[in-house]
Amino acid sequence: MNPLGEKYLRKSFLPFLFCPGCGDGMIVQSFLQAVDDLGVADDLAMAAGIGCSAWIPVYMHFDVFKGLHGRAIPAAIGLKASRPSRKVVVFTGDGDGLAIGGLHLIHAARRNIDMTVVIVNNQIYAMTGGQVAPSTGVGSRTQTTPYGNLEKPLDGCKIAIASGATMVSRWSTAHTRQLTRTFKKALNHKGFSFVEVLSQCPVQTGRYILGSGSPQFNLQWLKDNCVAVKDPSQWGEIEAQGKIPVGDILQIEKPEFMEEVQRMNQKVKEEAQAKGGDR
Amino acid sequence: MKGAERIEIDRRYCKGCLLCQYVCEFDVFEPGQERSALDYLMPRVAKIENCRVCGLCETHCPDMVLTVVANTEGKENP
Repeated sequence: MNPLGEKYLRKSFLPFLFCPGCGDGMIVQSFLQAVDDLGVADDLAMAAGIGCSAWIPVYMHFDVFKGLHGRAIPAAIGLKASRPSRKVVVFTGDGDGLAIGGLHLIHAARRNIDMTVVIVNNQIYAMTGGQVAPSTGVGSRTQTTPYGNLEKPLDGCKIAIASGATMVSRWSTAHTRQLTRTFKKALNHKGFSFVEVLSQCPVQTGRYILGSGSPQFNLQWLKDNCVAVKDPSQWGEIEAQGKIPVGDILQIEKPEFMEEVQRMNQKVKEEAQAKGGDR
Repeated sequence: MKGAERIEIDRRYCKGCLLCQYVCEFDVFEPGQERSALDYLMPRVAKIENCRVCGLCETHCPDMVLTVVANTEGKENP
């Protein structure tokens, strides 16, 4: 076990339940590196739903709430409302966050609640056996689309931008160092941060969609298909070439919801006192 | 030049995915014959002298079992 793991992992839960070569372990490591660099381990509170990626926070020795399928973000909003000083992080998958919990994502982004949502996108429902997910590409053969998928995939980053998230990034597990840097930015960002991580799933996506179950092949596929760009205006151009653009897309400042709530509470209290009320 | 003293592989948790061998630019690893506690064939550190302590294998290990210990010799007198 490397020193980072010795310091932050729950030893009694090991080994990871992830399959050999799964990208989720790399995300654990990138996130722990970011937490270690910032020294915010005591301030963290995490929430997760159901799925392979929802197991990511369970292995880390921080405060974790594991909720219902797709309902990780409501749990995190509750956490943030009761403990505004905590840095709340949600780990969710593409099925958990974009399909079942899709509306929660949109409304949390709309309110700009100070939290970090990490969506691990492996393009399939991996834990339940490889069914088609909202992020599965057109033409992909899965267990539920044996003749090819006809549905257009959802782009989580575009949904987050359109809903009003104030920080949006996308990286893959082939970019672990950049991912660590983005996690650091997201943890320090005041507002709704959305980080999409494209992850390799050799067992389901690899075998049924990409054509090989080897972890090496799947990592190379991510390296070949992800193009890192600095300027978000080039994203459309890269998408037109059939590649996946990755990078930091957006970081802006907007009023944060929980602070606004506290400010309003204060204002209402003062007004009531001025009128001579007993509130 | 920067080098590694040793590379530790935790045999309790290694799942033998060999991503360390794949990401290494300097052929430090090779498939080994020893089995981990989880019954997977583990990689073997074949050419430790090639290691430049870039840390790619560490950051790409999905089970966090790799530790690259850098050579501290000569750091006092570069």
